[in-house]
Amino acid sequence: MTALTYEKIDDAVINTLSPPGKGYWVTIGLLFLGILMGAGCWLYQILLGIGVAGQNNPVHWGTYLINFVFWVGIAHSGTLISAILHLFRAGWRNPIARAAETMTVFAVCTAGLYPFIHLGRVWMVFYMLPFPNQRFLWPNFQSPLMFDVVAISTYLTVSSLFWYTGMLPDLAIIRDRAQGVRRRIFSVLAMGWTGEFEQWRHYARGYLFFAALATPLVISVHSVVSWDFALGVVPGWHTTIFAPYFVAGAIHSGLAMVVTLMIPLRKIFNLQEIITMKVLEQVAKTIVFTGLIVGFAYSTEVFIAWYSHNSVEMETFRWRAFGDYALEYWIMVVCNTVFPLFFLFKKVRTRILWLMVICILVNVGMWYERFVIIIGSVAHDFLPYAWGLYRPTLVEFGIMIGSFCLFFFLFLLFVKHMPSVSMTEMKETVHAGGAHDH
Amino acid sequence: MTTDRISLMGIFSSEEQVASAIRGLRQSPYQLERVHSPIPSHIIADALQLPKSKVGWFTLAGGITGFLTGFLFAAFTATRWSLIVSGKPVVALVPFFIVGFEFTILFAVFGNVLGIISQARLPRFKVSQDYQSTFSGNRFGVLASCLPDEKIGLSDFFKTEGAQIKPSDANGADGRASGS
Repeated sequence: MTALTYEKIDDAVINTLSPPGKGYWVTIGLLFLGILMGAGCWLYQILLGIGVAGQNNPVHWGTYLINFVFWVGIAHSGTLISAILHLFRAGWRNPIARAAETMTVFAVCTAGLYPFIHLGRVWMVFYMLPFPNQRFLWPNFQSPLMFDVVAISTYLTVSSLFWYTGMLPDLAIIRDRAQGVRRRIFSVLAMGWTGEFEQWRHYARGYLFFAALATPLVISVHSVVSWDFALGVVPGWHTTIFAPYFVAGAIHSGLAMVVTLMIPLRKIFNLQEIITMKVLEQVAKTIVFTGLIVGFAYSTEVFIAWYSHNSVEMETFRWRAFGDYALEYWIMVVCNTVFPLFFLFKKVRTRILWLMVICILVNVGMWYERFVIIIGSVAHDFLPYAWGLYRPTLVEFGIMIGSFCLFFFLFLLFVKHMPSVSMTEMKETVHAGGAHDH
Repeated sequence: MTTDRISLMGIFSSEEQVASAIRGLRQSPYQLERVHSPIPSHIIADALQLPKSKVGWFTLAGGITGFLTGFLFAAFTATRWSLIVSGKPVVALVPFFIVGFEFTILFAVFGNVLGIISQARLPRFKVSQDYQSTFSGNRFGVLASCLPDEKIGLSDFFKTEGAQIKPSDANGADGRASGS
C-alpha cells in the first residue's frame, strides 16, 4: 500500500476505462442474450398468465419473491461497506467501496423487477402506487407490503444519489485526462467539480451525512422486507428475530458477492496493488462474523420453536430439517454457517481460489435460505390437508437466469466505462492527513 | 470597479506545503483567493480555518419535512375511508411511524443533495482558467492576489514555500484580477 502514489492510483483506475477487447464484448453479448431470454419468459408469462409459474396452492410465494429477497440482500453490503464502514473509519473498505456501491444500485434495480414479475398482471402495479383508485380508496399503509414499496423506492433513490455523489471528484479526474466527446460527457457528469476547498468543505460534510442517513436506512430496509413475512401468522415466519436475522443474512450474502465480483475485477484490470489480499482478507473476516450471527439466528429459531411448545412451530422446524426440503435446509446451514468458518484459517482466507469457492457457496446458501424460509413455511403450515410442495418451472428458471445476466451485464458495463475504484478515497488512504469527514 | 490586483497560482506537491503557504499568506499583505486539492485534507482545512458547512441544516430541514410528509400522508390516506383493517386504529401510530421514518431518510437525503449543490455552487459548466488538470490528480493549487508592485514578492513567497508558479489568466494574459 505504501508504494502507491496519486499518479499510480489514477493510472491504474483510468487504465480500466481503455477500449475493451473482444472477450469483453462477447461476454456482454452473451449476458444480453440471457437478458433477452429472461424477458422472453416474462413476456410469455404476461401473455399466458401467472399459471405458467409453479406457484399454486398452497405455495403462492415462489422463486420470484426468493429472488426479490436475495437481490435486496445482496444490495445491503454495498451500503455496509460504503456507509457503515466509512463511519467506523475502516480504511480497508476504500478500494472496494465504489464497486460495492455499484453492486448495491444494480442489485436493487434487479430486485425491484421481481414484485412486478410476481404480480402476473403487471399493470396491477397501479394498486401499489400511492394514488387513489376510482372509489378514492388509497393503498393501505398499515400493510408491510406498502412499507416495502416505500422502503425499496427510498433505498434505490438514496443509494443511487450516494453512489453518484461519491463519484463526482473521480469524474472530474477522468474529465481532466480525457479528450473530445469523452471530455464533454465527463464535464457534464462532473458538474464542474474543481476540487476547490470550498467545494470539499460542503461535499465532505454532505458525504458524512449521506453515510449517517444510509446506515439506519440499510437496517430498516431489510427489516421491512423481513416484516413482509414476520407480520403474517404463518409458522416459521411469525417471529421477532426476523428483522436482525434478515439484516445479518443480507450483509452476509452481500459481502460474499463483493468478494465474488472483486476477485475477477482485480485480476482482469490488474488492480492487485489497489484491491490487495489484505482487503479481501478483511472482507473474509467480516463474513466469519456475519456467518456466526446467521448461525446464531438459525439455532435461535429452532430453540424458540422447541421452547414455545407450540406444536405447529415445532412441526415446521422438524419438517424443514427432515422433510421434503431437508436437502435445501442443510445446504443453507452448511453453506452459510460451516463453510465461512474455514476463513478462520489464514491459509484459506489468503488463497484466491478458496475465497472464491467459499463465497460462491455462501451465495448459494443464502439463496437457499430464502427458499427454505419462503417455501418451507407456506408449503407446510397449520392444516395438514392444505400441505403441498413447490418446484420452480422453466419459466421461473428462465426469468431467474435473466435477472442474474442483467445484474452482471450492468456491472460489466459500469466497470468498463466508469471508475470502479474510488481514486479520491484511495488517495486519502495513502495520505495520512486525508479524510472524508471533516 | 477594477482594483488592478494580480493573481498568481502556486502549484504545490504536498498538503503540508499548502498548509504552510496558507498560514504564511495570512501574515502577509497578499490575499488568499482559493485552494484546489485532489483530496479533502484535514491539514489544509485546519490551516484555512473555515467555518463549519451549513449543509447539515438542509439535511435537517429535509428530514423534518420528510417525517411530517410521510406520517401525515399515511394518516390522510387512511382517513379518506376510515376503514378498520385488522382491528388496528385508523390512524395507527406504529405502522405510520415506519412510513414516516422512510420519508425522513428520503427527504433528508434530498435536502443533503440540495445543500451540497447550493453551498458548493454546483453545477458549474465553465471551469476557471486558473484551474489546472493536475489539481484533480496529484497537485495542490493556491491562488493568491496582490497589488501589481507586489507581484515579485508574492512570486518569491510561493517559491520559498516550495511552489511552482502559474500566472493567472483569468482576467487577462497579464494576470490582472478584478475585484470591488
